[in-house]
Amino acid sequence: MRAGTYVPFVTSGLQSLLQYRSTFLITGVTAAAGAAVTVFLWRAVYAGSTGPGPGGFTPAGVTTYLVVAQVLAVVHANRVDDEVAAEVYRGDIAVMLVRPVSYPLVRFAACLPVIAANALLVGVPLLALFAVLVPLTVPTPVDAALFVLSTAFSTVIAFCVNLLTGMAGFVTTNTWGVRMVKQGIVSFFAGQMVPLALLPGPLHALAMVLPFRAMADGPLTLLLGRYEGVGGASAVLGHQLGWAVGLVLLCAVLWRAAASRLEVLGG
Amino acid sequence: MNRTLGGHLRLAFFLGGVGLHRLTAYRLDFLLGSGAFLVRVGLQTLAVGVVFTHVPAVAGWSYHQVLFLLGCSLLPRGLDHLFTDQLWELSRKLIQRGEFYRYLIRPVNPLFSLLSERFFHPDGFGELAVGAVLVLWSGAELGLDPTALQWALVVPLVLCGALVHAAVKLFFASLSFWTVTSMPAMQAATQVSEFAGYPLDLYHPSLRTLLTWVLPFAFTSYAPAVYLLHGSTGLVRWLPVVTGLSLLAALSLWRRGLSRYEMTGS
Amino acid sequence: MIVAERLTKDFRVAERRPGLLGSLSTLLTREHRTVRAVDGISFHLRAGSKTAYIGANGAGKSTTIKMLTGIMTPSSGRCLVNGVEPYRQRRDNARSIGVVFGQRSQLWWDLSVPDSFQILRRIYAVPDAVYERNLALYRELLDIDALGTTPVRQLSLGQRMRAEIAASLLHDPKVVFWDEPTIGLDMVLKEAVRALVNRANAELGTTVLLTSHDLSDISAICDDALVVDGGRVVHEGTLHELLRRADRRSVVFDHRGGPGVADAVLRIETGLPGATAGLTGEGRIRVDYPAEAFTSRHVLGFLLDHFELADCYAPEPDLETVLRQTYRSGVPAARDGGAG
Repeated sequence: MRAGTYVPFVTSGLQSLLQYRSTFLITGVTAAAGAAVTVFLWRAVYAGSTGPGPGGFTPAGVTTYLVVAQVLAVVHANRVDDEVAAEVYRGDIAVMLVRPVSYPLVRFAACLPVIAANALLVGVPLLALFAVLVPLTVPTPVDAALFVLSTAFSTVIAFCVNLLTGMAGFVTTNTWGVRMVKQGIVSFFAGQMVPLALLPGPLHALAMVLPFRAMADGPLTLLLGRYEGVGGASAVLGHQLGWAVGLVLLCAVLWRAAASRLEVLGG
Repeated sequence: MNRTLGGHLRLAFFLGGVGLHRLTAYRLDFLLGSGAFLVRVGLQTLAVGVVFTHVPAVAGWSYHQVLFLLGCSLLPRGLDHLFTDQLWELSRKLIQRGEFYRYLIRPVNPLFSLLSERFFHPDGFGELAVGAVLVLWSGAELGLDPTALQWALVVPLVLCGALVHAAVKLFFASLSFWTVTSMPAMQAATQVSEFAGYPLDLYHPSLRTLLTWVLPFAFTSYAPAVYLLHGSTGLVRWLPVVTGLSLLAALSLWRRGLSRYEMTGS
Repeated sequence: MIVAERLTKDFRVAERRPGLLGSLSTLLTREHRTVRAVDGISFHLRAGSKTAYIGANGAGKSTTIKMLTGIMTPSSGRCLVNGVEPYRQRRDNARSIGVVFGQRSQLWWDLSVPDSFQILRRIYAVPDAVYERNLALYRELLDIDALGTTPVRQLSLGQRMRAEIAASLLHDPKVVFWDEPTIGLDMVLKEAVRALVNRANAELGTTVLLTSHDLSDISAICDDALVVDGGRVVHEGTLHELLRRADRRSVVFDHRGGPGVADAVLRIETGLPGATAGLTGEGRIRVDYPAEAFTSRHVLGFLLDHFELADCYAPEPDLETVLRQTYRSGVPAARDGGAG
């Protein structure tokens, strides 16, 4: 199976995205509003403290954490969950089984341009907006490089999580509810609502085990240099890589099961 | 033989019954819909809890006061959700796929006909339940003792709040008559409504103005909450006017949209 | 009953360019052009008539029906259905019409057909006796019970169409507008659907306006025809009159002995200038002649004079041929309406 097979899906994904140019604006507004709520809330908590406050964050540090977490959420909003759920609901998914391509790979190819477009057209302006409004921490070059690598891992994990969410359409027609649950859980346990370091004991332990941490908290730990040497950094990347592999396998197994059920039921 | 208000009400009850009947047929969906909100609001409450493990008060609000406000924001939102969820479908696809026509060929008010397809949407029940629990529990923790007038106003406050939510949704959903799909705009408006779950005092004054006078979500939660908590009526007295104007704006946009509807496709 | 006066509808259409670069450029700018889908058409259909609304793709059929059903407001001109302007008095109009758009469902997607019917019964306040009578009819003709309690979205196209047809007639409407009502139906069900609407017309005087790609639907249901082309009416009258408009008629014959086929063809084409002749599938000779140059009597006389006829008949011109000819001669404007 050649990668070239999937190039048309990359361009078609971009084309269908560009038809709705307002989408970018709105994704931006949504993300800015979401970031603003948490930033306002947490800056009120850190108001008055000059040095490191709770969790060892400076006011600028916690702001950076929350804003970049929202940027990552934008990058991860690859629409795979909506589209897969919609195709399952409409029954179009059966058509995909006839094509000589792997459906999960098609979806991955189609979401790449969405990720790129979201990052460039929404993520960067969002970051710029907050950089103007509130003081942010500037990372070291090494931390920034580690962050980029870690973000790449996080997009794979986000893709798998969204694919699994979309595949819930095989089980229920209320995929909207499933997506809401997913969104809530991800935004909490990835660190978009509360920096994970501020969670109390047992909750913190739970967040460390779950894969969602790899979607925002992981890259942010590296970005803000909140790790101990090479070992600390590789622990973060190792957690991400482990979950990325695990989730890819899980997707493959579940997709195969769903596909064979589809063949039996005939759509 | 115009259908009377009573006729519409009877029809609404019947369709509500159909909606409830559908819930039993799609039990998993119902649980997911309500459960989704339990999870979301549960996590939001948890996040607020985490904030207050580090500080005793934020912008002058205590933990239980913030939860009370959060509860207040959920009640009108849940009530609105119970009846107007089909507006999401309008903004998402009904115009785009040319399916909207079916509301225009029935001898029933098109807005009623549209909304009736999702009366008693399950997701609303979760919000109402969590909102009620939060308000009652945090109210008890705060030792709140409402006056007779405050008690009497609870239902109108929730109702007006729900109408404000409905009006904002209708306004943004009606944009789809011009833009074919207005889902992103509605999502953005909903995202802005999330601000209303926290004290307005946290925000920059410009954001406060936006939430009070442009997208008046402050009237669905903050205004009633400060009235019930502190008895301050500065904002809440504007609630009837704001509700009326919001509905007027939304309904006139909807009407204009209807008259320019073009059923696309063949 | 149904009147259209200089009914016009314009659409603004966004120009999209093909390909990835095209999509990118529409991200920045968007151009619009106006397309006239219906161009000032006027017609009058009597109560109780069964009219086929005929036109090529993009001729503005669906757009007209959407205005008559109150779904769309005309750009100019007006129409009346039962004395009501549909888009102004939507609810009054809706009470007395039934609608099927074959391409789009009007049923409750998540509900079963019986549940949908219960809702329709309430919405239209259908009297019990009428409801029971109609339901019995649908059981008999459409086998509606076989659809069971499956949600509409899981029905096949044919199953769904049966429910759509029944739903459009459930409240004994005065007028039914059917836009492609028989897609996805097999021959038996098509027959049933035709019988159903003919019965409503005969017993209740229901007025019918029908579009269909299946010309046998039209022949089986309609007495009248309204032909539009390029957004204009090119024929308003009976279906019979439409068929008589054919500008080429034919005569088919068999002859004993005499000249061979090639010789016969030559003899006919020189004897009847403008006519063409050829062999049919059954081994007969078919003569096509221009209607304005000859009458059938003229042609038959010629054949009797020159051949020893064994068998001879003049077939009725078929609808398809007539329509092909009508579209050809019509004004080729606004074909790209896209909202046909």
